[in-house]
Amino acid sequence: MPQLDTSTWSITILSMIITLFLMFQLKVSKYYFPEDPKPTLAATPKPVTPWEKKWTKIYFPLSLPL
Amino acid sequence: MNENLFSSFITPVMMGLPIVIVIVMFPSIMFPSPNRLINNRLISIQQWLVQLTSKQMLAIHNQKGQTWALMLMSLILFIGSTNLLGLLPHSFTPTTQLSLNLGMAIPLWAGTVITGFRYKTKASLAHFLPQGTPLPLIPMLIIIETISLFIQPMALAVRLTANITAGHLLIHLIGGATLALMNISAATAMVTFMILILLTILEFAVALIQAYVFTLLVSLYLHDNT
Repeated sequence: MPQLDTSTWSITILSMIITLFLMFQLKVSKYYFPEDPKPTLAATPKPVTPWEKKWTKIYFPLSLPL
Repeated sequence: MNENLFSSFITPVMMGLPIVIVIVMFPSIMFPSPNRLINNRLISIQQWLVQLTSKQMLAIHNQKGQTWALMLMSLILFIGSTNLLGLLPHSFTPTTQLSLNLGMAIPLWAGTVITGFRYKTKASLAHFLPQGTPLPLIPMLIIIETISLFIQPMALAVRLTANITAGHLLIHLIGGATLALMNISAATAMVTFMILILLTILEFAVALIQAYVFTLLVSLYLHDNT
């Protein structure tokens, strides 16, 4: 039975290892399964602008030292 | 007659070059890598099939077992595509080679067993002794369980080899019989031809089923050990 001829076993196993562990896994690892798009609210949150909290002296140009 | 029958299972060598490497790598051409955000139909269908199969197959595993997802999916794709391509006339099927199947079965099985030993040593050793065995039977049962553990990779490899080889041999034999009967009696040749068609349909099923069984058993051994 030609399958029992062990002289070819090393090259067969080597080519299988390359194909299975390298080529197929590289291809399948690139498969991308995006999640279903989640519905989000259309209203945007109020933007936080910390510089408007305090009215400081620098906003009055006439009070600046010359 | 014997030499002709088994000649399709000799590892192909062309002018001294082992082209078995090219033949084993050939099925990976059938699965192009997805490079775009929206791919073409072939890649999308393959991606959908892989998603379907992986959801079905990885449902029984916990977090640890699901890290094997990539390995199991590429395993089932490799065996399935190799078996299906082997049904073409005059093609060489790498999965008929015992060397290839042993090379797949032993490392994968050993990986599952070693994983079990590392993370759940007591539980994996406890598999050797089923619950509630009477005391005098214990040594014999441990021997039996050890033998059944070590025969798992052998059974995996030989099952795949024998099924695919037997299928190919049957196709060769019945096809040869049909050809020989055509000159003698056309009606009998029609009957044998119908048998050949049914056998080919069976071989398509066997090709896919064997891939599935191999992968399922590996995943079962994994489930036992994670």
